[in-house]
Amino acid sequence: MKRGTAIQLGTYGIVCLAFLLVPSFVDDAFILNKYARYLVLGILAVALSLSWGYTGILNLGQAMSFGLGSYCMAMVLKLRTVPVHTGKAGLPDFMVWNNVDTLPWFWEPFHSMAFGLFAGIAVPVALAALLGWFVFRGRVTGVYVAIITLATLVVVNLMIIDQQRFTGGFNGITDLAQLEIFGLTFDAYGSSSYYLIAAALTFCLFFALAVTKSKAGLVLQAIRDNENRVRYFGYDVAFFKIFAFSVSAGIAGIAGMLYTIVMEFASPTFLGVQLSLSVVIWCAVGGRQSLLGAALGAIIVTGMQGALSESETFLKTWTLIMGFIFVVVVLFLPKGLAGVVEGLSNRVFGHGDSSKPEPNIVPDSLGAKSEAESLR
Amino acid sequence: METFLAQIITGLSIGSILLLVALGLAIIYGTTGVINLAHGEFVMLGAYSAWALQTFLGLGLIESLVLIFLITAAFGWVIEKVVIRHLYRRPLDTILATWGIGVMAQQAIRLSAGGELRYVEMPSALGSSVSVLGVETSAFRIFILLFTAALFGVTWYLMYRTSVGMKLRAITQDREVASCFGINSQRTYSLTFAYGTGLAGLAGALVSPLKSVSPEMGTTYVVDAFMVVVLGGVDSLVGTVVSAAILGELTGFLAFLSNDTIAKALVLLTIVILIRFRPQGLFAARTRT
Repeated sequence: MKRGTAIQLGTYGIVCLAFLLVPSFVDDAFILNKYARYLVLGILAVALSLSWGYTGILNLGQAMSFGLGSYCMAMVLKLRTVPVHTGKAGLPDFMVWNNVDTLPWFWEPFHSMAFGLFAGIAVPVALAALLGWFVFRGRVTGVYVAIITLATLVVVNLMIIDQQRFTGGFNGITDLAQLEIFGLTFDAYGSSSYYLIAAALTFCLFFALAVTKSKAGLVLQAIRDNENRVRYFGYDVAFFKIFAFSVSAGIAGIAGMLYTIVMEFASPTFLGVQLSLSVVIWCAVGGRQSLLGAALGAIIVTGMQGALSESETFLKTWTLIMGFIFVVVVLFLPKGLAGVVEGLSNRVFGHGDSSKPEPNIVPDSLGAKSEAESLR
Repeated sequence: METFLAQIITGLSIGSILLLVALGLAIIYGTTGVINLAHGEFVMLGAYSAWALQTFLGLGLIESLVLIFLITAAFGWVIEKVVIRHLYRRPLDTILATWGIGVMAQQAIRLSAGGELRYVEMPSALGSSVSVLGVETSAFRIFILLFTAALFGVTWYLMYRTSVGMKLRAITQDREVASCFGINSQRTYSLTFAYGTGLAGLAGALVSPLKSVSPEMGTTYVVDAFMVVVLGGVDSLVGTVVSAAILGELTGFLAFLSNDTIAKALVLLTIVILIRFRPQGLFAARTRT
């Protein structure tokens, strides 16, 4: 194993271990739940880092996969509650309020927990593969991908809000049962949920890292740097893009399922434009070309948002401060916090990190220019 | 026939508002390549300027239009000087920076003008309705339609018949070569950005009597405006007009057939499919790449 990879693996391992140790120091159930929420959003950022940072697909609709995963989990958990109005094994309460008589066909399979867990990953992956096939086979690139993914997100969001009878509309799906698998109960405010989420984050981080270190991962980074040259080498660029797009959607789906567990509801805001853009911001702050950086970016930014919005002095000005920080980060730290850390470690250890490919091989001005051109 | 005509006119009215909002964005995005997510907030600032001028100075909407244009344009000029000009080489990063600016603008307005809904009075002369081809239509909507047409005419003239416009088009084609010919690209970009923001401000002022004014109002506009610009073809002003008209009519008709939500979803799906097959937009200018 090369030295750079070893350092990287070590760093990832230490950070994940640190996350897993948090419950030993935190007693307060409310705070633990808050931290679990931040970690889930960290997973979501890893998903975007894989598609945006490593493949160059700016997916402004990442929240779509997230929300779909979240709804799948909510549907399973909803069917496990005892409805107040219709008795055991009856209809979910919001369907009763909307005069639905029988459970719709697409709700039926969600009686099975295994199916729900499967669907929470499979539905986002299938939809992403379909959208990816539609978009990348047509060689749509750059900002147009961003617009298409954003528009698709809004469409799905509108459909969920519109079909209130089957989805709970604006209110989403609330009053859920607790997740129970293998005799373990995952209480949103217990340490069990936190461990589940920290373990999932660890798994997703290392899985995504493995993808980027594989040969396919190298092709993905090559596509990011210069798509046409990769095509000239005979690689099927669209196939690799669809692959990255789908894997990223699967990870986002996992994050969505976990989010339902910690939040104890699913809501259309989980597929909102706001959240989707926020993910992009987290990745940018943390460093989009680093999976760990993106995850930490999400955790730091949402953590700061949480801390600032709760403190008395910043109650009203915290969004101002956040906006200001984003602008400053974009202006002065284009590679995010991960770029700062990398720069520091290079300065301390010299250029020992040679095995790591330089993210921008093309001279800066040329690279920027071709990017500018491809956007027009 | 009557309802059909009414639908056409509703569609045109929706389309004219779309165009009004999208025009500033089209100028900025089409020429400088800056993806300005704060555009919606510039629209919002225009609406609040209208509200402030009306409440504190007692100015009517029509009289204050010039002032509103100047206020928002000045704001855009400052934003360009402080932030945007450092990002012309990194167009994708402009998404992030302008998003941050938008968030700040929203919160600043919320802190200074309050988060509650504000209302701007319609000019009394335009409060009545007029009959167009036998269809009763609000005079103010007709005014917006005509005003948008006029603004488009002015913009087109600036772009294609003045030296500033010619310089701008030269920079759009190749910034370095244009600079070699002695064109001050920094200054031209500043002016363009300020002009685009000013247009957004006017759009906000004009829609303010139709819709309530709130700090979050910009978010919906920016998505719609982007759809219009991308569908029309990024560097084609005429394309922007046509795509605004198409989207306006489509929204109007689909909303008539089903409901607003479904109409919006269907329109977006149409856009997705159109972009897939014509990413360069419906009316792409032919350029060498």
